[in-house]
Order: sequence, then C-alpha cells, then structure tokens
Amino acid sequence: MTIVKENSPHLRRKADVTRMMSDVLIALAPTLIFSFVVYPINTLIFYAISLAIMILSEFIYVGLRNMPPKDGTKRTFKEWFQYAYKDHHFNRNNVLSASITATIFTLVMPAGAPIYAVIIGALVGIVFGKLVFGGLGSNIFNPAVVGMLFAKLCFGSQYVKYVDTWFYTAPDAVAGPSMLSGGLSSTLDNFVNNMNYYSLGDLFLGRIPGTLGEVYKITILVGMVYLLIRRSADYRIILSYLGTFTLLSLIVGLSVFGKNNDVNPWMFTLYSLFSGGVLFGAVFMLTDPVTSPINPPSRVMFGIIAAVSTVFIRYLAALPEGVGFSILIANMIACVLDHYEWSSSIYTKKKIIGMVCLVVIPALILFLCVYLGGVYNG
Amino acid sequence: MISKTRYIEDSKNLTSLLPSIRYVNPKYLFCPVTNARCATADILVKEGEHVNCCQKIGMRHGPFFDQPIHAPCSGTYLGTEKHYHRNGKLVDFMKIENDFQETYDPSVKTRTPEEIAALSKEEMTQIIKDCALVGLGGSSFPTYVKFQTDKPINMILINGIECEPYITADHRLMLEYPYRIMDGIKYVMQAFNCKHAKICIKKKYKDIKMVYDQVIKEYAGSGIELCLVGNYYPQGWEVEMIKNATGIKLKQGELPSNRGIINFNVSTIVGLYKAVKYNMPVIKRNITITGDGINYPKNFRVRVGTSIKELIPLCGGYKNPDKEKVFILGGPMMGASVPNDDVIISKTVTSIIVLDKTEYHEEPCVRCGSCVLSCPTHLEPVQIMNAVKAMDKERVKKLNPLKCIECGLCSYSCTSKINVTDYIRKAKIMAKL
Repeated sequence: MTIVKENSPHLRRKADVTRMMSDVLIALAPTLIFSFVVYPINTLIFYAISLAIMILSEFIYVGLRNMPPKDGTKRTFKEWFQYAYKDHHFNRNNVLSASITATIFTLVMPAGAPIYAVIIGALVGIVFGKLVFGGLGSNIFNPAVVGMLFAKLCFGSQYVKYVDTWFYTAPDAVAGPSMLSGGLSSTLDNFVNNMNYYSLGDLFLGRIPGTLGEVYKITILVGMVYLLIRRSADYRIILSYLGTFTLLSLIVGLSVFGKNNDVNPWMFTLYSLFSGGVLFGAVFMLTDPVTSPINPPSRVMFGIIAAVSTVFIRYLAALPEGVGFSILIANMIACVLDHYEWSSSIYTKKKIIGMVCLVVIPALILFLCVYLGGVYNG
Repeated sequence: MISKTRYIEDSKNLTSLLPSIRYVNPKYLFCPVTNARCATADILVKEGEHVNCCQKIGMRHGPFFDQPIHAPCSGTYLGTEKHYHRNGKLVDFMKIENDFQETYDPSVKTRTPEEIAALSKEEMTQIIKDCALVGLGGSSFPTYVKFQTDKPINMILINGIECEPYITADHRLMLEYPYRIMDGIKYVMQAFNCKHAKICIKKKYKDIKMVYDQVIKEYAGSGIELCLVGNYYPQGWEVEMIKNATGIKLKQGELPSNRGIINFNVSTIVGLYKAVKYNMPVIKRNITITGDGINYPKNFRVRVGTSIKELIPLCGGYKNPDKEKVFILGGPMMGASVPNDDVIISKTVTSIIVLDKTEYHEEPCVRCGSCVLSCPTHLEPVQIMNAVKAMDKERVKKLNPLKCIECGLCSYSCTSKINVTDYIRKAKIMAKL
C-alpha cells in the first residue's frame, strides 16, 4: 500500500463544471424543441451547422494550443495528433461549452436568415468571441451574441422578413413591422404603434415574427425555473436585470401616458418585457458565469447596467438588437466591476448608493427625454 | 452550484455511536522533543534511566514560554528516535519502554474540593502552566496564556462543535465524561469569577443534548447551560461560534476576551479538570480512526505517545490495500497529510483519517463565484488566485489574503476542482514579503 501526500482540503463536493453546463443545455432544451416543432427545417439546418462549426473550431483550437514543441524531431501526423490530444486536453467540457454557444446562437437567429449568414456568424462568434481570448473560461464577450450581432450587422438586409408556419402566419396588413421595428421616425413611436397589431397573449406565446427561440416566453420561463432550482445560474443577475428593466419601462410607459392618454403604462411595461430578447437574454446570455462578474454586489450592478443600456438602446437609439448590444456592453464593464481596488463580496453602503444612482439617474434621463424631449411624438 | 456552500457530507455516522476503546497499553511510547511552537528543548533524563508516569522528563523552549515534557507512562527512557509529528515533519521523539507498573510521580496528588475552592486564578494558572496544558482542539496554543488575561470575563464558551467531517473524538468525550467536563467548567468559572458558561454543540447532536439535559440538573444554579448552534462548516471557528452562541460579532483578529468572552475546547476542559483535580498532565486523549480506507472505523482513548501503527490493526487494517491512500491527521478540510503511517499521537491529534486518493482533473476557472459566496471571511479566493498567477504583489496585498483561516471551503466548493486554498497559501507568503 502506498501513502501519498496531498494538500488540504482532502474533500471536494460532487457538483462540477460539467453539471453546470449540462444544466444550461437542459434548460435550453424546451425552447429548442419548441422551435424545432414550429420551424423544423430551419432549426435543424441552423443547429447542425452551428454545432458542427463550433465543436470543430474548439477541437482545432485545442490541437493548435497543445502543439508539440519545435525541437527538430520529425513527427508523423499521427504522432502529432496523439501529442496534442493527450491528457484529456479535449474533453466533454469543451464539447458541452461549444454546444451551449451553438444552441444559444441558433435560437437567436431569425428563421429567415440565409445559410451563409449562419455559417459566418457561428465562425466569428466562436473564434473571435471566445477562442482568441483563450478558450473556455477566458472570454470577455458572450460568443453567441458576438456571432449573432456580426451576422445581423453584415447580412441583415438579406434576412427574409417573414417565414409562415402553422403556428404563426403574418397577416398581410402588418407585412411591415415586427414588434421592435418599423417605418416611423422614432423607435418609441413604432413600439407604441405596434402594440395595436399584436395581442399580449400572442406576444407571450410567441405568435409573432422574430427569431427561432427568443419568442417562446413559456419555454424560456420553464428553463429559468429549472436553472434557478438547480442554482446553475445566479438569481442576482436575472432579478436585477428584469427588475431594473421593468422599472425603467414603467417610467417610459408613464411618460408616454403623460403625452398620449390612450397608452396604458402597465400594458406598455408588459409589452416591452415580452418583446424582443429580454427574457432570453436575461436567463441564458447574461447569466453566463464566464462573462459576468464574480462578486455578488458586482453581479447585481452588472444586471442593472445591462438593463439600463437595453432601455436606452431600445427607446432612445435608432438601433436594432438592444438586448444583444447591452449584453456586450455589460460584459465589457464586468471586469471593471471586479477590479481589485474596489471589489468585495460585501454590500457596502457605497455600493448600494451606487446601485441606486445607476437606476435613478437613467430613470430621470428617460423621463426628461420622453416626456419633455422629442423622443415620443404621439 | 452557484450558491453558498456550508454543508459538507460529514460521515460522522461511521463512528459517532461506537464506544471508545480504552486500555490500549503499548510497549513503547514516544514524546516529541520539539513541536510546532517550541523549536528547542532540553532533555532532563539520561538514557536507561527509570522514569515515572507524569514525571517531567524534558523542557521545550518556545519564543515566549517554556513547556515541560511529561512521561506518558512509567518505564525506561531509551533515547531518541525519528518519527513523523502531526504537522507532517520528521522530528526527534523520546522513546520510553513501558514497564506496565503505572508508578506515578510524587507530583501527582488529589486535591480535595476544599483545596480546589481555595485556589485563586494565579495559582490555577501556575498549575496549568506546570502541566503543559495546551489547546487540545488542534491549535496547541498554551492555555495558561488565555488565563493570564486581566480583562473581566462574563461568559465562558465551551466548543464541542467539532465541525470538521469524520471526527467524533470530542463527541465521544462529551458522551462518556460529562461530569469531568462539568467540573472542569466549574473550575474555570471559579478562576475567572464568572457567572455564565455555555456548552456549544451542533443542533443535530441529539444524543449529547439528552445527556447534558440530565447532567445539568445536578449542577443547578451553577450558570452552565447547553447552547445549540448551527450544523454548518466552519461553525467551530471561534468567530462563528461566538456569533451564534452570544450574538456578538467579533472582528477578525480581535481577542474574544476584549468582549468578555473566553472559549475552550471540550478536550482542553477535561485536561484542565485532570490538572486541577489530580495535578496531572494530559497523558490520555480521545481520537478517531476513520475514513473510507479503514476497514472498521473506531474511537479510542489512548495514551499520548502511542504509535498509530499499534492502532491500525485494531481497526481491521486498511481497506483495498492496492489503492493509493491519503493519511490525514486532523480533519479532512484543514488537517495535514503525512507521507508515512509512522506517526505518533501527540496531545493535539484529534483523529486519523485514511482516504482513498481521488485524482481531480483541474478545469479552467469559469468564474462561477462559488468560492466568493462560500468564504466565511468574505474574501475573494478566485481574485487572489488570479493575482498569484499574475505574480502581482500589490494586487495580492490589496486583496488581504492574511485574513484567510484556511478552512478549505473555496477548494471544496470549486466547480472546476482547482485547489484554490493552495493558491491562497502562496498569496499569504507573497503578502508577507
């Protein structure tokens, strides 16, 4: 019998990264299955393409990273391969993390996206969103969002606007607007205008034009409940993001109500909560632990920052994809929130004042812009 | 997952209801010449000389105190031999051959209750100092230093929590010697002229509660009560214990006596009882031999100085001897691992845990934050780890790793199976430079 020495602690808990990543995949499954039921062909093709590209890129990256040293010895390809992939360098966690990115990427692509946009988006997402930073655990930005935004910004005009399915058929009268786009000068005008086209129930069920998976709020909520029960996502981020978003939307709604009494501020809040990718982004994209801060107070602040930028981009900027951009902005600020000079895991008075300021000042700006400024023209 | 980890599967059911095996009387006993707190020592007896049980056979010299060495049995001193000490270092041990006569040194005498009642704090401090009583929970901090405080004490806390998994030595001690513990507490209360004492145990120790509910009735009016505290780890850390037992939130590094509190481990109290009542040093203690590498885990009450090699066969030997084993002295979270089973039980060894070696594959950190949420001292272990990896001394200092108590929860909770505690030990060295 041999006795070996090891440093304390000698016990470890069972939960590991594999479980956390499998949980995210399981939470994504209802949305993916529903998307497959509604758009069978598109989902299948998109998912197969992005899975293949992302897992293959990860595989090649691991090989390149663990290349044998250039010491003059000649190696056959087989020896080279064995050297690069020994010691579980490419293991199930690489596959799982690439699969999560592929699933999220598929679900945020619109059904009408051309195939080359999916290919290029997936490649840019995994390579420039993740692998160039050093692979699993080192990326700054959420790779799925990077890929989705790249595809949208480069090939957005080539997207087919409506794909009819058994679940949803675009009525001829609205062959223009989706919930968050349209022809009027201001995005807020459009939004209020489009509230007449869709009922809240349709919005909740996903009977609207949109992406493959973002629109099915019920399945997303099921996934959220699963993640929160299994504690595989931090509830602080989801709560602070959705809470701040609801509050700021209510303030915009009240300001709109002040100018135009036909608009119900409560309905406005619910419409903004269930339109676009707010729920999906909050549950599956913001909560990615790699791209979010480490400390509990920083995580709350992270959610607030993402929510504020979502509201600003959605109602004040003339840009699409408010959620996607706000996630990238929040990812960018995450490392600042965790800077060692001010990071701590305790909610100090200063931090709470900072959080309140982060909500109150944007609320004031929104009120001024919408009620007094020219953002909403009725 | 991404949550505060406080509950560890404690595996105490392996031994918690087994009686302690006594009367293990080995042929040879060993006393460490030096220990972690005392670097030098003088040996007062010659080779081949006969020694009595509890006789002073040496004197260790620490940086600010001297500590006598007592013979754990009567017999012949045979010179020194190298063995492993509890901290994992190879040190000199004095070897004594047991003559099984149990002849006690003349210094051992029974004090009558009247004599004890007349003892002042200074006299008691001197008795404890002569008996070389140290914190038997594992700290080996000299107890008389705690007694020298001149602050008013109004609460004595007895730590019977034993929050580390697997260990049941204190559990058995509390069940088997309740009267010694109660008398010991009375002596301490007399010394500090203090009216209140609390015995802190975990809520889930129903058996201890049943015993002490009865025993405390006999000591009515003494001010001793039982206090049930949380079941989590590290509840036995003094800051957490004081917080839950009295509601006082101690700042880290602050002495409990500043707030009128003094705390002792239950085994220290039994040692103190022996010292005051019989003027006897600690020559026996409770230990647990357990773990998944042992066939029949058991509790023992053995002489200090027994070699573990004597006890392993009594536990049925090692299970699965073809597997690699980790040999731990102390708890599995904070205990030291030794490279050999040639270890001597010293006063402060609470348990021997033999675990099958598990290899963990280290994944890259995914910043899940479990270590930050779990840390009982509100540090940020992952940030400290990254600073150590970047060799950034300023950053390490700013993150204050010296506050760490090395409870091991960051490594335990890590989802990537990184030994974060190891990086924090490195950070401590970096911060001290």
